[in-house]
Amino acid sequence: MGRIDELLASALAEGRDCIGQIALRTRSEGGYRLTHRDDVGRDDLRVSQTPESAREIATYDDAGVYRPLKTAPNLRHGWALHLPDLAAVRAALEYFYPAALALWLAERDGRLQPTAMRETLGRQTGMYRVTGLLTDPQAEALVGELCAQTRCLRAMRWTKTPGGERIASLPATKFDPEHDPAGAGARVMPLLCAEMCNLVVAEARPVVKAAQAAAAAAASPAPAAAG
Amino acid sequence: MASLQRKPGTGLLLVGHGSTQNPDSSPPTHVHADEIRRRGLFDEVACCFWKEEPSMREARHVFEAREVYVVPNFISEGYFTQTVIPRELELSGPRSTRADGTIWKYCEPAGNHSSMTDLLLRRAREIAPELPEEEISLLIVGHGTGLNDNSAVAAKAQAARIAERSRYAEVISCYMEEPPLVANWDELTTAPNVVVVPFFIADGLHSYQDIPVLLGMESEPTAAASQRAVFRHEPRRLRGRNLYYASAIGTEPGFADVILDLVAAFDDKHGTH
Repeated sequence: MGRIDELLASALAEGRDCIGQIALRTRSEGGYRLTHRDDVGRDDLRVSQTPESAREIATYDDAGVYRPLKTAPNLRHGWALHLPDLAAVRAALEYFYPAALALWLAERDGRLQPTAMRETLGRQTGMYRVTGLLTDPQAEALVGELCAQTRCLRAMRWTKTPGGERIASLPATKFDPEHDPAGAGARVMPLLCAEMCNLVVAEARPVVKAAQAAAAAAASPAPAAAG
Repeated sequence: MASLQRKPGTGLLLVGHGSTQNPDSSPPTHVHADEIRRRGLFDEVACCFWKEEPSMREARHVFEAREVYVVPNFISEGYFTQTVIPRELELSGPRSTRADGTIWKYCEPAGNHSSMTDLLLRRAREIAPELPEEEISLLIVGHGTGLNDNSAVAAKAQAARIAERSRYAEVISCYMEEPPLVANWDELTTAPNVVVVPFFIADGLHSYQDIPVLLGMESEPTAAASQRAVFRHEPRRLRGRNLYYASAIGTEPGFADVILDLVAAFDDKHGTH
């Protein structure tokens, strides 16, 4: 058994039976049952029995819309996964919350070194190089919106500068791995965010571009009206 | 085709582009990973993506193996394979040794490999199995242009290799955004039947939505491939020809063998230690 499997086993043994929006329960017949946390008591769920089924479940929300961010709080309802062992559970969780257990293990080992926002933006190239010009107030507004618990369930581990301050526009719970992001106070396996993700970096580009365009417009005289 | 031996203590990481818009971008990479996992050649097989999770940065943490082969699931050398992937995965060359002692081996992308030629030939034959090659013009469609994009070079090289190994009336590489343009497919070709194989990794925006419009098959982009109930029926009668349009080469099941060939090619070139 690998160390990530051991971590999963010990987490369940100590009662951490939720991860993100997923509830993980043992079955009386043996094996495990994964459902949406809202669906734990339901017996009318569509049951699948392979870890790979998680991929399709995780791809679309209740309305059938594509979910580009797996840690967004819009996991589909109405399904159950019955899996024979922890290896299958781990494989399924890789599709629901990719790399979440690996990041948690790395943090517990002291190996997870979160990357500060300035380092993430500073290493961008090509069309995203311009994001290095994102100002702190712009970052506070952007991250405060996109990374809010209502948009992403991860616990933020990175700061604005190396060893510096956290994003001030988010509540303290956003930075607490022990906080249940579903707000139910359950003991959870954490979803960690070790650095600003590429979805946010991509959204930083139009923010900087718009600010540059506004500054350029303010600096140059208004063009003469045609005709 | 691949004859790779089991590699104990070793992991394989497939790096795909992924998409925040299109659900059909990442599935081929996952499917190839499933197939390779099923064969049991590596202790661990994982995927990561530029625009989906896990990110390349996160993928640095998922392996317990001491050695990891990294295969970019990209058609050609270019900005992603030469700049983005090495930067995000902190690779310093073909072989990188991390502070924790793990060794990461960076393989080449699939597009230039000789086994890709076999795959393109197979796909071209699958879509028009009844027709003699002499009556077919074969078009290999790449992206072209872009930031340090060598997909056009790879498509051209593959077209030349296919022409040597087949009896097609002609084998032509053409592109979405640079001449020869796929939009002019009827002027580029002479045979009564035209087979078009998109030289792309997934049936994403380009191969499923943009190119059919350029070919004149659709008047406007359709829904994503996964959201259409029936794949297109071939051929279509268009501009006086029979037009056969294949799905992207990266969705071919045999692509898993190309990936394994890239690992074997790395060992041949750089040694196994």
